[in-house]
Amino acid sequence: MRDQAWAALRDRVLAVFRQPLDTPLPDPVFDELARAVFAWQCRYNEPFAAFCRNRGRTPATVAHWTDIPAVPTEAFKHVDLVVGRPADAAAVFRTSGTTLGGERRGTHYVLDLSLYEGALLPVFAGYVLPDGARPLLLSLMPRPAELPDSSLAHMISTVIDRLGAPGSGWHATVAGGIDHHSLAAALRAATERGQPVCLLGTSLAFVHWLDGLEARGEKFALPSGSRLMDTGGYKGRNRTIESTEMLARYRALLGIGPEWCVNEYGMTELCSQLYDAQLRDTVLGRASAGRRKLPAPWLRTRVVDPETLAPLPPGREGLLQHFDLANLGSVVAVQTEDVGVQIGGGFRLLGRVLGAAPRGCSIAVDDLLRAAGRTPGGHA
Amino acid sequence: MSRWLAWHLPGVPVRAGAPVAGAGDGTVVAPALSPEDVARAAELARAAGARLRATPLDDVSAAIDHVARRFLDPADPLRREALQWLPAVTGYDPAMAALVLDRMAADWTEPALRRLLRAEFRDPRALERFVAHAPGQRARAIPPRLVFHVLAGNVPGVGVTSLVRGLLVRAPALCKTARGEPVLPVLFARAFADCRPALAEALQVAWWPGGDHGLEAPALAAADLVIHYGDAPAIADLRGRAPATVRVVEHGPRISFGVIAREHAHRRAVAAAAARATALFDQQGCVSPHLFYVEEGGRVEPRTFAARVAAQLEAIGTELPRGQLSIAEAAAVQQLRAAVEFRAIAGQQTGLWTGGNLAWTVAFDPDPAFAASCLGRFLRIKPIARLEDVLGELGSYRAALQTVAVSAPPARAAGLAEAFAGAGCTRITSLAAMPFPPPSWHHDGRGPLRELVRWVDWER
Repeated sequence: MRDQAWAALRDRVLAVFRQPLDTPLPDPVFDELARAVFAWQCRYNEPFAAFCRNRGRTPATVAHWTDIPAVPTEAFKHVDLVVGRPADAAAVFRTSGTTLGGERRGTHYVLDLSLYEGALLPVFAGYVLPDGARPLLLSLMPRPAELPDSSLAHMISTVIDRLGAPGSGWHATVAGGIDHHSLAAALRAATERGQPVCLLGTSLAFVHWLDGLEARGEKFALPSGSRLMDTGGYKGRNRTIESTEMLARYRALLGIGPEWCVNEYGMTELCSQLYDAQLRDTVLGRASAGRRKLPAPWLRTRVVDPETLAPLPPGREGLLQHFDLANLGSVVAVQTEDVGVQIGGGFRLLGRVLGAAPRGCSIAVDDLLRAAGRTPGGHA
Repeated sequence: MSRWLAWHLPGVPVRAGAPVAGAGDGTVVAPALSPEDVARAAELARAAGARLRATPLDDVSAAIDHVARRFLDPADPLRREALQWLPAVTGYDPAMAALVLDRMAADWTEPALRRLLRAEFRDPRALERFVAHAPGQRARAIPPRLVFHVLAGNVPGVGVTSLVRGLLVRAPALCKTARGEPVLPVLFARAFADCRPALAEALQVAWWPGGDHGLEAPALAAADLVIHYGDAPAIADLRGRAPATVRVVEHGPRISFGVIAREHAHRRAVAAAAARATALFDQQGCVSPHLFYVEEGGRVEPRTFAARVAAQLEAIGTELPRGQLSIAEAAAVQQLRAAVEFRAIAGQQTGLWTGGNLAWTVAFDPDPAFAASCLGRFLRIKPIARLEDVLGELGSYRAALQTVAVSAPPARAAGLAEAFAGAGCTRITSLAAMPFPPPSWHHDGRGPLRELVRWVDWER
C-alpha cells in the first residue's frame, strides 16, 4: 500500500505542514483531507476499520471529520494500529509505563519519519523559538540510542540536529540520570559567552535537577533569551508539585521567567505536539488569552464529555480527543485520558490521568502497580 | 440550607473557612483551623474521656443506639439532613445513599452492638472491671486515652462505624473526615452530643486536607491510638509521622473478588447476587468485587453467566442508579472497554456488555490472570478450568486481598475456604452477603474492638 496513492496522500499532508501556524485550515479543507486519511486507514488498518464498523462508521457513512470514531489510547497496547504491516514502520515508539494494562505498553508505528518530523519542526520552532533564535539546546533526556522506544527522545534528537546551535547536546544517561557536572559546565560556558540556551526535558527531570541545585546551593542566571521546554505533569511518586511553584523555581534557580517556560504536550500515539502559546504570544506582540495550547493547522483537538464523548462547550472540563493528519500511517483520531478545558482557540491541560484512583480504602490500580515495583508512566 | 459546616468541635470556637475541595458544589464548608485548635480539641476530648470511662457501658451503648435509630427514622431531621447532603458530597445516587445508611445504621443499634461485644470479648464486662480470665488470673481491657481517626470517603458510614467501635470501648476521639464523605461522622457526633451533653466533648470531628502536617502533629502527639483508612501513599505518609509510642491500626487499599463453582453457575440467583455486589457502593467498597472467576463445565458456561450478570446490572440500574463518575473514572472505563473491544477485534474470545452512558460494564475475559477493575461498575468475568486454579493467578494482588465471595457446594466450600485463607483473604462469604459484613467481622484480619484496647492482667 505504500504506492503512488500513499505518496500522493502523504504529500498533501506534508503540504499542510508548510501552512502558516496561526492560520487554521478552513474546515472544509481539513474535513476533506481528514476523511481521505480516514478512508485510507479503513482500507489498510483493519483493527481500526473494525472498531469503526462496530459503531456503524465507514467512509461511506462518515459525512464530516467529527464523525470519525476516536481510538482510546489503551487500544495501542492490544493491537497493531498501523496502515499496512508493522514491519514497514520507519520508527516504533512505545509508551513508557503502564496505567491500566498491566505490563503492556502502547505501541505507535510511524511509517514515514517525514510525517513525524514535518509535523514537529515548524511547531517547535513556532512556539519554543518564535523569536527565530537558535539557542544551545541542552537535553535532560538520554539519547535516543539509549531509549529507542521513546518518542520524546527522538523528538529532542530531531530538534537538536535541526534547530540547535553548535554544541547542543545531551546531559543525561539512562544509567546515571542527569549529568549535573556536564550540564553545569555547559550552562556556565554559555553564560560567559552570553549565549542563550534552551533546556529540554520531562517535568520530573527538571524537578529532580532543581532539587539537586537547591541542595547544593547552586543557581544560574542564564543569558537573556534563554528558555526551557518541559513536558508532562509534576505528579511524581512521592510528591506533587504545582506548576506555579515550578515556574517560580525556574525563575529563582535558572533566571528563566515564566513566559520563557514552554510546556509541551505530546503523546506516543500522536505524531503532532502542542505547546503553551504564551511565548509566541509575547514575541508576536499579540494579546495573550492565558497559558493554553494551540493546535497546529493539521490538528483538531476537542474537549469531550467523559461519559458520552460528545463535544463540550468552552469552559467545561472534559477529556481531550485529537484528530491529527500527521497520524496518516496509524489512526487519525485518538481518545486520550487527559483532562482539559477549551479556551481561546486551544485548550488548557488540567491533568494527565495515570489510571483511575478510586477513593479511600478500595484499591487504587496505581498503588498495586507501585506495590508490584512497576512505574506508572505517561508521556512519550 | 445554603451551606453545610463540615465540623463538630464542641468547646473549640472556629470560624468557617474554605469550601471542602472536591465535595459537591462548594457549599460544604471546612473549618478555618489552626494547629492550636486541633490541640485544643484533642485536649477537650481527652478530658471528656474521664467522664466517658465513668459512664456505664450500657449507657454509652444506649446513646449510640439512640443516634442509630434517629438515622433510621424517616421522620427524623437527622436522617433528612444526612440524605440531603450525602448524594451531593459523595456523588452516590440518593437511593444508594439511603440504602447504605439503612444498612450501616442497623449495625449501630443495641442488638448489633451486643453481638459485636460478645463476639469480641468472652466477657464484655472486662471493659468495665477485672473479670475472671484463667485460674488465678483476672483481666481487664483498658481503652486508649484518645483515638485519632483518619477516615476515608469511599463508603458512607464506615467512618461512623469506626467512631462507634471507639465509643464501645469508651475511648474519646478526634476524627478527621474525608473529602469524599465529611457528613455522617459530624452528624453522628452532633446527635451523640445532643443525647449525652455531659459527653459532648468526647467526640471532636472536622475535615481538613489530609496530610496537613501542621494540623496533624498535635493530633498525633495527643493520641495513643491512630485508626487510619486511606490509600497507600497516605498510609505510608502518616505512619512516618506518628510517634513511635503511638499505635497505628491501618486499613489500607484492599481488593475483593468472587468465585463461582460449576455446580452453581446456572443459578440465576447467583448471577443476580454477583450483579448486586458489583452495583452496591458503585464498586467503591473494599468489599466490592473487582472480578468473578466462573468455573467451566457447568450447565451454564462462564460466558453465559457473564451475559446474565450484565442483564441483572441493567435491571438494578433502575432501582439503584450508578452515582457520578469523576472524569478520571469515566476515562478509565472508556479505556478499559476499548481494550476488551480491540482484543476481540484481534481474535481473542473476549466479550463485552455495556450499559448506556457508562452505567455499567461486564467484560468477559479468557485471560485468567487476576486484574483490578477501574471500579464504577466495571466487572470482569473470567472462566477458569478449576476454581482451585485461581490461587495461581493472584500474583502481586495477594498482599492486598480482603473478601472472597464463594458460591460452591458445601463439599467443596471448606477446601476453598482453607485455600483462600492461606492465600491472604481475610473474609470468605456468600455473594449475597458480600457488600455488608456483620458488625463482628475481623475487619482486615483484626478484632474490631480487641484491636483498640490494652489488656491488664491481675494475678493473685
